[in-house]
Amino acid sequence: MTIATEAPHEERPGRSVSIIARLQELFRYRDLLRNLVVSEIKTRYKNSVLGFVWSLLNPLAMMMVFTVVFGVLWPNHQIDNFPIFLLCGLLPWNFFSASVFSSINSVLSNGNLVKKVYFPREILPIAAVLAQLVNFLLALVVLFAALLIVGTNFSPWLWTLPLIILIQTCFSLGIGLVLSTLQVFYRDTQLVMEVVMLAWFFLTPVFYTANQLPETYTIWGYDLPAQRILYILNPMASLINVYRDLLYNGYRTDIDFFIRTTITAFLALSFGYWFFTRYSDRFGEEV
Amino acid sequence: MSVLRTHVVVPGEPLIELNHVARRFTKKLDRGRSLQDLFIRLLGRKRSTVDDFWPLRDLTLTVNPGDCIGVIGPNGSGKSTLLKLITGILPPTFGDVIVRGRVSSLLELGAGFQNDLTGRENIYLNGSIYGLSRAEMDERLEKIIAYADLGDFIDTPVKHYSSGMYVRLGFAVAIHTEPDLLLVDEVLAVGDVSFQNRCMESIYRFRRQGGTLILVSHDLGTIQTLCNRALWIENGLVAAEGNPADVVMTYKQHMAELEEAQNDRPKTVRLGDGERWGTREVEITSVELCDANGQPRTTFVTGEPLTIRLHYHCTQPVEYPVFGFGINHQNGTHIFGPNTKFAELAIDNLSGDGSISYTIPEMPLLEGQYWLSVAAVNDTDTATYDYHDRAYNFRVAYSPLRAGYGMVQLHGDWQVDSKPDTELNNGLNNAPSPTPLTLSPTDTSIRTEA
Repeated sequence: MTIATEAPHEERPGRSVSIIARLQELFRYRDLLRNLVVSEIKTRYKNSVLGFVWSLLNPLAMMMVFTVVFGVLWPNHQIDNFPIFLLCGLLPWNFFSASVFSSINSVLSNGNLVKKVYFPREILPIAAVLAQLVNFLLALVVLFAALLIVGTNFSPWLWTLPLIILIQTCFSLGIGLVLSTLQVFYRDTQLVMEVVMLAWFFLTPVFYTANQLPETYTIWGYDLPAQRILYILNPMASLINVYRDLLYNGYRTDIDFFIRTTITAFLALSFGYWFFTRYSDRFGEEV
Repeated sequence: MSVLRTHVVVPGEPLIELNHVARRFTKKLDRGRSLQDLFIRLLGRKRSTVDDFWPLRDLTLTVNPGDCIGVIGPNGSGKSTLLKLITGILPPTFGDVIVRGRVSSLLELGAGFQNDLTGRENIYLNGSIYGLSRAEMDERLEKIIAYADLGDFIDTPVKHYSSGMYVRLGFAVAIHTEPDLLLVDEVLAVGDVSFQNRCMESIYRFRRQGGTLILVSHDLGTIQTLCNRALWIENGLVAAEGNPADVVMTYKQHMAELEEAQNDRPKTVRLGDGERWGTREVEITSVELCDANGQPRTTFVTGEPLTIRLHYHCTQPVEYPVFGFGINHQNGTHIFGPNTKFAELAIDNLSGDGSISYTIPEMPLLEGQYWLSVAAVNDTDTATYDYHDRAYNFRVAYSPLRAGYGMVQLHGDWQVDSKPDTELNNGLNNAPSPTPLTLSPTDTSIRTEA
C-alpha cells in the first residue's frame, strides 16, 4: 500500500495567512470565546452547593487564615497589616499561576474538538486565561471590601489598576500560548512547570518585600544589584510591586515599572502568539 | 503550499478549490518523544522517510455552489483526510487549498459538547464552534430543540443523555447552522432507523434547497441518487471523477475484479458424501457460472446476464435424461428450480462428455449469497443419476440499479392516476386534467447496465 513518494518540490511551511486575517478570524469567533469562558466558569462550580459564591468565599477564607496565622500566631512586625499586604501580592500571583496551569492543558484537554472541528486554536488558551481573569476580578471585590474595612490609603493612581491587570493578562497569555503549544508536543511541559512555578513563586516578593533584600550581593568579588536584577529579570516581581504600590502603599508607583512591564508583556504576547500560530496547524494530528 | 479560507461566498467563484493537494503523515511507532529521540534530532539526523505515508498524494478538485459531490473509495484511500483538509483541521503538506464560505461537517456530531452543561447551553456552545453568533443561534434555537425532540431533557446536562440523544442534538445543531458547504461522513451509521431516515431526509432537503454538499459514503445508492458528481479516490489519487452512475459502475467493476482476484478458492467445491448422491450413470463433473463474455465468475450484479453451465460425463449411454438446478438464498429459501423437462427440452440419447447451459439474460437476484444445487435424473424422476445439493456458492453484489428490496427483482411498471381534489380546485376552472404518468425504471436501468 505504502508507496514511497519523493517530495515533488521543496517543502516550506507556508505562512500565507497574514496576521491581520488571523486576527479578523479570531474576532469572528468571539462568541465561541465567550461561550468557552462562560462554560469554563460554569462547569467549575457545577456540582458544588455554593456555586460561584466560592469565587468570593475563597479569597475571604484565605484572608481569615492569614489573619490568624500572621496576625495571632506569628505576628509579622516588619510589615504593617501583614494579611492585607500578603493578599495584595498573593491574589495577583494566584491569577498568574492559575492562568499558566489552566492554559497549559487547554489545547490538549480539548483534543476531541481540535481533531474534529476547525476554529482558531488560540481561542482555547485565551479562554482559559480569561476565565481566570474573571475569577481574579471577583477576588478583587473581596480584597477591596477588606481594604475599605481596614482603611488603607488608596493611591491617587488607583485608576491605573485596570491597566496593570490588562498588562498582567497579556503577559500570562503570552506564556500560556507558548506552554500550551509545548504541552501538545511534550507532555513534560506541565511537570517541568510545576517546579518552575514553585521556584518562581519564591523569587517573587509575595511573602516579603523586595526592600527586605540586600541592596547588593557580592558574588566572586562582583557587586550585583540584587533588587534591580529581581525586578528586571522577573516581570512578576515588577507587577506585584505595582499592585502593592496602588493598593497597599498608596504610592503612585514608578513610571519605569509601568514601561518595563508593558514592554515585557507586549513582547511575551507577541512571541507567544507567533509561536502558537507557527505550530497550531499541526495540533489536528498531534493531540 | 497555501491555504486561503474566507467565511464569505464569492459569487462566481467556486466554494472550494484544491490544487494538487498532498498530505503526509508520519507513522507513530509509539516511540513518543523521548529524550533519545530529541538527542538524535539535535544531532542533526535527517528525518527518515520510511515511516511516512501519504493518505493524499495528488488531488485536484473544484466544488461550485450547488454541487453535490459523492466521494467513494475503499477504506484508507484518503477520504477522511480530504474532508479534514477542507474543514481546516489539517493543513496540506503540498498544494493549495482555497475555501470560500462557511463549512459545517457532520463528522463530529456532538464534538465539543460540555458534559456538565445542559442541552440548551450546549446548543449555543456548539453553534459558536461552527462560527455562528449568539443572535444567529437565538433565531435557530426553537427549530433545533423541536428537531432534536428531546423533551424535558433539553435542560438536563448532556452527561445524562443516551448516545442516541447526544447524536440527535449534535445533528440538529449541525443541520441548522445552514452552512455554505456541508460535509457528511458516514454519519448515518448512528442512531436508530427512524433517526437515520430523518437525517437522510434533512440532507435531501438541504440539497433540494440548493445547498452544496460533499458526501463520503459506502452507500453507493445514496451517492447515485443524491449527487451530481462522484469522485473515486484510490491510494490518495483520483481514480475517476464525473457522472455518479459512471463512476460508481467503474468502481464496482473494479471492486468485483479485485474480489475475484482475491478469490483463490476453486470454482467447483469438492463435495462430501452427504452433499452428493446418485447412481452415476451420468456424472456432473463441474459447474460454472459465467458472465456475458463466458468467463466463470463467483460474483455477479443484478441485471447482468448469467449462464449456468453443467459439464457432464456419461459412464454409460442413457435415454431421456433430465438436467436441472435449483437456486437457494443463503437463508434457505428455494427461489427457483428449472429443469429441462419443464422446458420440454427432450434429450433423446446421451453419451460421452458434454455440457448443458441455462442462460438468464437479466439475472433478477438481488444482493446476497446464493447456493446452487444441480441434478441429473431420469425421465420419470425415479432414478437420480447425480445430485449436488447446494454445493456451489455465488454472490450477488450490491447494485444501485436495483428497483426494490427483497431477493428477486420483478419487472413491472408504475402508473399514477391522480384525481384532483374537487374542493381545493373549486376556484380553478381550468384545472389540468389528470394525466397518467407512466414510469418504468427497471427496464431502462437494466438496459444501460447490460
